[in-house]
Amino acid sequence: MEAYFVAIAIIVAIYTLLALGLNLQYGLTGLINFGHVGFMCVGAYTAALLAEQGWPAPLSFLAAAILAALAAYPLGLVSLKLRDDYFAIVSLGFSEVVRIVVTSERWLTNGVQGIPGIPKLMGFTGSGLVQASAVLLLLIAVNIVVILVMRRIVHSPFGRIIEAIRDNEDAVKALGKEPVGFKVRVLMLGAALAGIAGAFYAHYIGYVAPDQFIPLITFQIWMAIIMGGVGRVSGALVGTVILMAFLEGSRFLRDVVPFISEVEMASVRLGVVGLALILFTLYRPQGLMGDFTRR
Amino acid sequence: MTTCDRRTVLKTLAGASMLAAAPGLTLAQGAGTFRIGALNPVTGAGGPYGGGMQKMIVAAVEAVNAAGGAGGRKLEVFAEDTQTQPQAAVLAAKKLIEINKVQAVLGTWASGVSLAVVPLTNDANIFLMHCSGAPALSGPPANAKGLGYRFQATNDQFGRAFAEICAREGFKRPATMAFNNASGIGNTEGFRKAWEKKGNKVVETVVYEPSQPSYRSELQKVLAAKPDVIVMGSYLADTTIILREWFQTGENQKWIIPGWAANPDLIKALGNEVTEGLISVESVSNEQSQAFKIYDAAYQKAMKQSGLNNAYAAMTWDMVTVLALALEAAGPNADIAAVNAKLREVANPPGKQVSGFAEGKEALKAGKINYEGASSVLDFDQFGDVTPDFGVSFVSKGQLSRKYIVKI
Amino acid sequence: MASFVELVLTGITSGLVVGLAALALTLVFGIARFANAATGDMMTVGAYAAVVSMAASGSFTLGVVAGAGAGIVVALLAHLLVFRRLAARAPVTSLLASIGVAFVIRAAIGVAFGHQQKVFGLPVVRPWRIFDVRVQPIDLAVVIAAAATLLVVFLILYATPIGRRMRAVADDRSLARVSGISPDRVMVTMWALAGGVCAVAGVMLGAKTVVSPDMGWDMLLPAFAATILGGIGHPVGAVVAGILLGVVQEIATPFVGFTYKIALAFFVLLLVLLVRPAGLFGHSEGAR
Repeated sequence: MEAYFVAIAIIVAIYTLLALGLNLQYGLTGLINFGHVGFMCVGAYTAALLAEQGWPAPLSFLAAAILAALAAYPLGLVSLKLRDDYFAIVSLGFSEVVRIVVTSERWLTNGVQGIPGIPKLMGFTGSGLVQASAVLLLLIAVNIVVILVMRRIVHSPFGRIIEAIRDNEDAVKALGKEPVGFKVRVLMLGAALAGIAGAFYAHYIGYVAPDQFIPLITFQIWMAIIMGGVGRVSGALVGTVILMAFLEGSRFLRDVVPFISEVEMASVRLGVVGLALILFTLYRPQGLMGDFTRR
Repeated sequence: MTTCDRRTVLKTLAGASMLAAAPGLTLAQGAGTFRIGALNPVTGAGGPYGGGMQKMIVAAVEAVNAAGGAGGRKLEVFAEDTQTQPQAAVLAAKKLIEINKVQAVLGTWASGVSLAVVPLTNDANIFLMHCSGAPALSGPPANAKGLGYRFQATNDQFGRAFAEICAREGFKRPATMAFNNASGIGNTEGFRKAWEKKGNKVVETVVYEPSQPSYRSELQKVLAAKPDVIVMGSYLADTTIILREWFQTGENQKWIIPGWAANPDLIKALGNEVTEGLISVESVSNEQSQAFKIYDAAYQKAMKQSGLNNAYAAMTWDMVTVLALALEAAGPNADIAAVNAKLREVANPPGKQVSGFAEGKEALKAGKINYEGASSVLDFDQFGDVTPDFGVSFVSKGQLSRKYIVKI
Repeated sequence: MASFVELVLTGITSGLVVGLAALALTLVFGIARFANAATGDMMTVGAYAAVVSMAASGSFTLGVVAGAGAGIVVALLAHLLVFRRLAARAPVTSLLASIGVAFVIRAAIGVAFGHQQKVFGLPVVRPWRIFDVRVQPIDLAVVIAAAATLLVVFLILYATPIGRRMRAVADDRSLARVSGISPDRVMVTMWALAGGVCAVAGVMLGAKTVVSPDMGWDMLLPAFAATILGGIGHPVGAVVAGILLGVVQEIATPFVGFTYKIALAFFVLLLVLLVRPAGLFGHSEGAR
């Protein structure tokens, strides 16, 4: 029982990291990144491959963050000059290209067979519930650090500029600040967070394969930040918790409501994600945690 | 405004956790039941098979319970969807193990999913019975505790069978086409290894991506090598499209296709002329066997189509049946280790051949039994793998008929 | 040589499917000003409606008509229930909502029809040989269906009053409003047109491949690429770009392999955005 909740909490914490990254990009800067899962994929594979080589976790996590950020750099340069909905499409395509690359480059990634047997984190604490709880604590600590840093960023001059970019890009240009440079940095920062999340994910699931990194993950994160409240740091957490409560809760619905088959439940789950996106954009674009203009 | 929203959030969360807690409370007790987790690929790449697999677990459990249960216990099923994704599968398995307290997880399908789930079932000391082909699942660490059982042929076994058939049919210039996933490539690579071991050459190898509007350029590359037979590692949807386009090119090759793709659905989708002469290879689902007839009846009742359409559903049917027989043989209140000790005993020779749970339960009173399954003869080796024989069927006038059996 | 020509033919027919999807996308993009991610799933709707009505009636033509009808109904519903209400907001809002619409459509199809593949059951025949080039009757059918659809769309766009108003809105929305054009009727017509075109594209894809709940979503990225390559809001451009992409993809396959060819659409898209953001046929409105 406890182990199940710890398992869910770990996934929630990983998704919260992803949501925080996306929140920085969209909520605070207005970048419509539909390719978030691509950066997560880069991080996951980096961590998995380096763990295979015997790198210690802190180093491989750092590498995961750096590589994910570097992957964002060229994308940022070429695309951030584009109108925002164009960037959305380009980033979606980017994440698909990442997936195609890890599928194709078998010498490095073992292709579709994936990389099994990635060691668990915090192995020195033992196994079972103790080890899982240790991972969860570590993840919570990472999340707290990230949230604190993001709060600092929001209130720094850098933070004020990226918000200004979101609200009125032309005004920023008029002040002689080039928005592209800031956008690239924000994109890389968010990508680094996704990379770390991916590294945690790889170690937790213990197996990575290309078809784990499909666009649906990106849209689930989007659903989370839209539900939680765009631009709110707390929104990322709340939204992720609701998302997982729903995704996992639907499992129990089946035990309680037996007449709906699992096949239908899978479709229903997708339908509810869709419906939530529609209803929130229609009726509560500011999300549950309130408007980003009133922080 | 905000406070109100926070309250809504809290309510939602409270509701969710109550939902989570409720079944745990009601289901945790009951020593008179043996709990089974049906963890199947209901959606995702395994979608065409997962629904039937799950329904056959439920149907087989009903059959066991109708016969008075196994080892004095009723079976209970908790169904979950892996979404053919490791992450969803891990969470689903955690839920089955922690909340539903299942004692066996049955019917994981994709190799990636089984590889991700097997550490959890090992930690919990419960069974994992799967339909995955990856060789890594045979030995340690994946199967260190001997609680993993494979009901499907391994990729290498399939490849060896394909090579045997090629040799026997006198083909000289085989080419391969594989769906770009672990199973598709596993089959054709297994074939290449076995074929080259015989001192032959594969003239062309193409790996294709799914979900495309056309596979003609892939076909063109394969056909340019002038193969006399094309060996596939494919699924139903892509095979349907590829064969249709191949026929439209006007070429005349033979095809060797795994049984899960070359099935009655394929023939129905393409018609008799296109499918004439296709060679379908599957680990023997004894259509002749009594076990298959029983399974087939259950499948037709649940899915309104022939049980031949879903080789994996026959495997999940066998999983429940053989597990229940082991439970029966181990007697009341046996723990997992005791049941595990009986599993090979009821499935492998020697013993009276039986074809279903009720029959086996009767026969167990008299002595040893040997369950002959619907999916294969079901004899487990020391790794928990079956070494199925392979049935080779030819399509003629829209009918699949088995010509011979290949033993490897 | 013959095999090269065959590759090009394959590219053209695959490209026509993508091109039609891109046409629907570009109509919405040009007039409602957002990227409609539900385009692919509207294709799926058309394919399912056609498969079901063909199974009932035995006529493929009737299936196509029923498919187009279903596509129109679903597109209009999406417009009336969702997109119309978001018209005043930022385009990204509609884009996000369209992903929601896509998921809801796919979920509904999954519940109603299950995940087993369906096929049209059109007769499969051997090819005709024209100068050693193998031409397949189904391709001809696809070309004819596409041509008929394009004819209807272009007649409506260029030879009717409502079409003229649509183009006016696409060119300059505020000018159109000042001239007394009611955006409501234009929108309804546009969505009906887009839904019908999607559905026909879906039927064509279904006839070439198999019908399954995920079929349309998989076509979305190539369709986006064709839309941008053709120049947003440019109907002819979308179709030509779709064909071009299809042909390039087939011809390039020997060099890039069968996996990377899927990424090709993306690189073309990126290249166009960097070099000529307005697309091949686009006018003033750029991508920056």
